[in-house]
Amino acid sequence: MPSAIEPTGPAKSPNVPRFRAGFERWNRKLHYYAGLFLLFFVWLFAISGLILNHSTWSFAESWNNRKETNYEREMTAAGPEVTGDLGQAHEIMRQLGIEGEILWTTTRTDPNQFDFQVRRPGHFFFIKADFARKRVNVRQSDVNLWGVIKVLHTFTGVQMDDPRNRRDWALTSLWAFSMDAVAGGLIFMVLSSLYMWFELPQKRVPGAVVLGLGALICGLFCVGLRWLF
Amino acid sequence: MRGRFYRLIRDLHLYFGLFISPFVLVFAISVFFLVHSWLPRIAPETSATRAVSALPLPADWQKLSGRPLIDALKPTLEKADVRGEVGFVRHMVKEEKLIIPVTIPGRETTVSISIASGEATIVTRETGLADALVTLHKSPGQHGPDIRMNWFYMRVWRWMADATVYLILFISVSGIYLWYVLRAERAVGVILLFAGALSFFGMAYALSH
Repeated sequence: MPSAIEPTGPAKSPNVPRFRAGFERWNRKLHYYAGLFLLFFVWLFAISGLILNHSTWSFAESWNNRKETNYEREMTAAGPEVTGDLGQAHEIMRQLGIEGEILWTTTRTDPNQFDFQVRRPGHFFFIKADFARKRVNVRQSDVNLWGVIKVLHTFTGVQMDDPRNRRDWALTSLWAFSMDAVAGGLIFMVLSSLYMWFELPQKRVPGAVVLGLGALICGLFCVGLRWLF
Repeated sequence: MRGRFYRLIRDLHLYFGLFISPFVLVFAISVFFLVHSWLPRIAPETSATRAVSALPLPADWQKLSGRPLIDALKPTLEKADVRGEVGFVRHMVKEEKLIIPVTIPGRETTVSISIASGEATIVTRETGLADALVTLHKSPGQHGPDIRMNWFYMRVWRWMADATVYLILFISVSGIYLWYVLRAERAVGVILLFAGALSFFGMAYALSH
């Protein structure tokens, strides 16, 4: 059976350069190789995107169904090598046995009080350290699988409107790199599909109509609305 | 029969794919901006300020909040010639002002209305294409479901975003079928599918445990 994107029209002239034939073959192969490798990533981002856009869907509710635990621990004073908020936060996390991405949500006003959050998909840690009492209070919230899926969609370690939050966990960087790779893979798949479609002479016109319609609607939102209003 | 089914799936895969390809590009390109918290500026961001006087506020606006308040403020905004998706409205009690943020992908407008006089200062910032892509990527998003998508065009965008997801799911499933029919590619495909699944589940497990 011919491939989905194999030309079904008249056979190509033997004058077609070998390079072009090889390019077409590999373009086609890499299109479905990339699709197969990225399949689960694409499904995750597609389904989680849908759930995030419909936050009222009760079956995917995660935060209201969370399990909360509170505990307080003693902590030992950090050595002189531990400096800065990030260093102190890492030292407290090491003592608590917590790993994850640090989220700064409050401004420190009292040098004896130190509040921060640690997040990883499925788990949220709200940490309040009291250096005077040498105690640390942890409120841990664990969410269900839907919560994990939603956090994976947005787990970048950075926020556009808050330069204080930077990636500080190796796994966040790895996941961010995966997001880049999935996005790059999707762009490649779109471009490779456009090339394969254009190589099908009998599909060019209907394909151009459909592509033009999609581009028109999409362009309306990207630039057109600013012109109209 | 099987040949007809194959051809139908093949054509649907092609045409649906072509239709959503611009949307996929919007979502994919904006990923780089969101992941790296970086917005390229093709043209410099511009800002314009203008004043409008005698803007009428709805009579009972103080009793309203959330979506009803936004709906009640829509005629006021139209009179000020401001259109778009209205964000969270703030009532600055001390300053006796209403601050209304209004967004069109690539443009942010802030309307500050003096409650006493009805005088309004309107600041419009043209934030550019990259910011428009990020706005569209995050719309409607998970926050403020009660107030969001209060502008017709953003409601249409939500339908388009949903349609993109459904079509991506169809395209991926039909793509698996179209690949599986190609016997010569099965072995390599299975290896790549397995490698992708291992990478995905391995990372998801490491992140969440």
